[in-house]
Amino acid sequence: MTSPVGRRDAYDVLTAPVIIFVGHFGSGKSEIALNLAFDFRARGHEVSIVDLDVVKPYFRCRLAHAELAEKGIHLVAPEGDRFYADLPIIVPEVRGALSRSDDGNARVIVDAGGDDLGARAFGAMSDLVDRARTELLFVVNTRRPFAEDQAGLSTMLREVETAARMSVTGLVANTHLMEETTPEIVLGGLEAARTLSAATGIPVRFCAALRRLVGSLDRVDCPLLPIDRHVLPPDKRPRRGPLGRPMGI
Amino acid sequence: MAKKLMKGCEAIGEAAIHAGCRLFFGYPITPQNEIPEYMSARLPQVGGVFVQAESEVAASNMLYGASGAGCRVFTSSSSPGISLMMEGVSYMAGAELPVVIVNIMRGGPGLGGILPSQSDYFQATKGGGHGDYRLLVLAPSTVQEAADLVIDAFDLADTYRNPVMILGDGLIGQIMEPVEFKKEIKPEDLPEKPWATTGCAGRARNIINSLYLDPEELEAHNWAIYAKYQEMAKEVRHEAFNTEGGCDVLIVAYGTVARITKTAIEMAREKGLKIGLFRPITLYPYPTEALVKAAEGAKAVLVSELSTGQMVEDVRAAIAGRKEVAFHGRVGGMVMGPDDLVEQAEKLVAVPA
Repeated sequence: MTSPVGRRDAYDVLTAPVIIFVGHFGSGKSEIALNLAFDFRARGHEVSIVDLDVVKPYFRCRLAHAELAEKGIHLVAPEGDRFYADLPIIVPEVRGALSRSDDGNARVIVDAGGDDLGARAFGAMSDLVDRARTELLFVVNTRRPFAEDQAGLSTMLREVETAARMSVTGLVANTHLMEETTPEIVLGGLEAARTLSAATGIPVRFCAALRRLVGSLDRVDCPLLPIDRHVLPPDKRPRRGPLGRPMGI
Repeated sequence: MAKKLMKGCEAIGEAAIHAGCRLFFGYPITPQNEIPEYMSARLPQVGGVFVQAESEVAASNMLYGASGAGCRVFTSSSSPGISLMMEGVSYMAGAELPVVIVNIMRGGPGLGGILPSQSDYFQATKGGGHGDYRLLVLAPSTVQEAADLVIDAFDLADTYRNPVMILGDGLIGQIMEPVEFKKEIKPEDLPEKPWATTGCAGRARNIINSLYLDPEELEAHNWAIYAKYQEMAKEVRHEAFNTEGGCDVLIVAYGTVARITKTAIEMAREKGLKIGLFRPITLYPYPTEALVKAAEGAKAVLVSELSTGQMVEDVRAAIAGRKEVAFHGRVGGMVMGPDDLVEQAEKLVAVPA
């Protein structure tokens, strides 16, 4: 949480009470939403995280439910056997979470599913949010299929905005190759996000990078969000337990 | 080409394109929807055709037609959908048609669940459809390997004129890893298939068929394709990891369980226990000889699968009573942790009190 003097963290630039993550399928929305939720909580906010992912079946942010509960972060996701489903289930509580953000201390973080399909689930409820106090953030990883060039990025950006029925308010540079990420890969992705920003007029809000890389990115003139991975496959989990529920993935 | 970050399913789709395949026929089912989704976006970009069939039964028959006409073609599905395709698969084996079929397994039986499983091992390696036939079965354990094996699968299918199956569990389909595509085959550069039904102007008719009413002919056909399966034995592939100089416990595992075993190997090392991994890459033909050799240097053998015990039968047949073969399985979408495997291994070498 402590940043070098002068560098701002993602936390410092995100003041809206509702933050929604959209973007290409697999662009990194879930891990960013989780990391930000833990960050806000550690700084004393009341935090709710809404898992609105109706697109992908595995590796959703709801898998971190035990860790979230332990830290006192409220998870809004389907329960019981529907926890595991890949059905378009939106629990009624989502509407409440989206409209209940007037408390100055509360933060609601929404992890929408990928592509325009995922953003559509939020679009159906976008009339509930106070747009002046909501960030709709488009996550960019240029190493992902269909997101490698500006044409692919701007097409998806427009499709997501149409589906979400709301304009994107900021970009998140999140280019990485998992464990093989180097500072150069992060910087190349930040550059691509800035090009998209110049073309669209949408500002780059922050740059996400694995925590081990943050030291090498000190001079980057962009707020950073250090990423710790929370949604891990079973071979990357050193012990049973951190994901609590004795579940498969 | 720069490395990309891809899901196993996406990498499988891109690999098929790199193998010169321009046709995909299939029907969606979790956890492999990203394959048809990816192909529906990519194939039109490269002059290919994507058809969402009305069912898996229809898709498998579309494969029969396209392959019979000499095209590279593939489909993908998950367990229940693969069961539906089995009639077509048996017909294609009978008619000696090269196709690639991807099964991203989920928990069964029946509709089961959508989480990962390896409980279609029997179906893939021992038949599944009717009749005396075999599929060549390849089991990747990383996204890169899934991509590489798909490209090899098309060549193997053509070489043996037989369906080849890529058998991955849900995690292999859903996990995201860096991947690189090193070679690209253009469809026009593929060797001609003189047996295909491409129009018989200037030559005798070619016939693609699996119906033989004359019993002598059908018997001869069965022995001919059997000889092909015998020849496939030379395609065996495996990976042995941490087995040099012998080990305390040899774990035999494929796919996701092999990945978990590699983490278990590191954990066990801290405890002074040496675990080795034997990972078959071809599940049919099974790398029996290499397994026997690896097991010679092990004090104990443990098979671990996401099933109640299927591959373990092939391992026991290979070991042929020379050693006790223990088993540890999880099913239904439950997955063992690396620590579970260490615990199982410790039990096998524990000195009785």
